[in-house]
Amino acid sequence: MTTTLEIEGLTVAYGGAPVVDGVSLAVPAGSVVALLGANGAGKSSLMRAVMGLVPSTARRLAVDGRDLAGHPPERRADAGLGYVPEGRRVFAGLTVRENIEVAVDGAAGARAARVAEMLELFPDLAAKAGERAWRLSGGQQQMLAIARALARRPSVLLLDEPSLGLAPLIAAAVFARLRAVAESGVAVLLAEQNAARALAIADTAIVLAHGRVALVRPAAGLSADDEALAALLA
Amino acid sequence: MPTVQLLVNALALGAAYALVALGFVLVLNAAGAVNFAHGDMVMLGGVAAVAASTLLAAGGLRLPGIVLVPLVVIVSGLVGLVVAAVGFWPLRDRPPAAMFVATIALAAVFEQSATAFFGPEPRAAPAIWDGPPVIIGGIALGRQPLALILVAGLALAGVYALLERTQIGRSFRAVAQDREMARALGLRATRLIVGAFALAGGLAGLAGALLGHQFFVNAGQGPAYMLKAYIATAIGGWGSVPGALVGALLIALFEMLVSAALSAVWAQALLYLSLLAILLLRPQGLFGEAVGRRA
Ligand SMILES: Nc1ncnc2c1ncn2[C@@H]1O[C@H](COP(=O)(O)OP(=O)(O)OP(=O)(O)O)[C@@H](O)[C@H]1O
Ligand SMILES: [Mg+2]
Repeated sequence: MTTTLEIEGLTVAYGGAPVVDGVSLAVPAGSVVALLGANGAGKSSLMRAVMGLVPSTARRLAVDGRDLAGHPPERRADAGLGYVPEGRRVFAGLTVRENIEVAVDGAAGARAARVAEMLELFPDLAAKAGERAWRLSGGQQQMLAIARALARRPSVLLLDEPSLGLAPLIAAAVFARLRAVAESGVAVLLAEQNAARALAIADTAIVLAHGRVALVRPAAGLSADDEALAALLA
Repeated sequence: MPTVQLLVNALALGAAYALVALGFVLVLNAAGAVNFAHGDMVMLGGVAAVAASTLLAAGGLRLPGIVLVPLVVIVSGLVGLVVAAVGFWPLRDRPPAAMFVATIALAAVFEQSATAFFGPEPRAAPAIWDGPPVIIGGIALGRQPLALILVAGLALAGVYALLERTQIGRSFRAVAQDREMARALGLRATRLIVGAFALAGGLAGLAGALLGHQFFVNAGQGPAYMLKAYIATAIGGWGSVPGALVGALLIALFEMLVSAALSAVWAQALLYLSLLAILLLRPQGLFGEAVGRRA
């Protein structure tokens, strides 16, 4: 498998001590890497740094072998990074269709075709295509945030706690969708508090503690009630 | 029927104020800050109209004001770009207060330059549509207010179509709602915001040219227009585009009615008093603002 997202020695500091401290990880194409860690471990900061939304330093930060160092967020999106942020952040005043279309480049016909593809992939959204996004339920907004990111055909998808605030059944549907996204060849980096759920779809688990990588394991060999893991997530 | 004429005049005034308020609220939403020089873009549009018609008249050309409209819009769109280049671009990663202060300075520069170039005396911009009143259903209606309603109405419809029907408009609304998220999706936020300044300048300048016939153009009128845009936005719910347009119409109606009943001076004084009352009693605006529905 080719490595799609490569991170080496990533460090984020908000003025004080680093909250992400020399983290290295790789996400191969077609796989899900679960990024676990207690509250404040640095998961969101890592994702925001990869996306270029907070300043960071790194020995290497590359997508598909292309170096992203110093690039602003929009150039990183062009390079193939897709971002589904904490709290979903759909464009509340835009319709479902507009939320997807706004993320797609190209001529009107090509955009419409891509929107239609995404709505086919997310039937729940298709039924609400003309609604303003603020009217959607939490689960639908989460699906929209994922559809919006996927509409750009990213090679890497960064997801920050997509199950937060969702009912278990809805969260299960979101995770099933993420597995399918990875199967289609996308490299998925998934930050989650709910370790059991993340491990169920992940190939690899990486645990952050105080901004450092504390554990890297194949997800298959790791149970959510593993003692070492539980201690790190506490 | 004086009432019909009054209403048509109020609608004409309101349509022009709506252009002013629209540009103001678009920049407010895009850049997340008040452009204090907004009123001076109105004034400079009026100056451009007066200057162009004076130059043409000196060359023996007496063109109707409507012909000058595209020129005025282009010139004031460029003024909007200047405001963006000085008041927004260098400060785009700073807190909104930075842009507010920078545009106060810019407003002063515009006013001083206009005074130097144009003199302190008010001057009338050319009429958009000259001639005797037209009689509609037995009522004599001035041509200028009718032309004003038509031109401003077309401009408003054009901006509506741009915002709601095009990818640029969608991108603009996304940037206005969540700039960081929009950038993470690849949208060129800075370009869109600079574009909003140019559009706001064009709309403001158009309003200045339209209003400058009846209400004259003078170098010091910028702040009063800025305040009206501010009041319209405060009435309509800070950040709401339709709210700002309704606010602009209400201000015009208010000014017309109070001017008719009392005087123009009273109209201005009471307008500013009602702004204070709104800010104190209903800071969310007369119509409130549903969270997340800003555009
Ligand atoms: N903008 C910021 N400025 C200063 N400190 C911050 C900022 N954002 C996060 N932090 C701090 O950085 C550390 C890591 O936070 P981060 O949000 O990245 O963790 P997380 O693993 O995503 O936590 P959670 O599970 O709560 O989402 C925390 O100590 C947090 O307080
Ligand atoms: Mg987080």
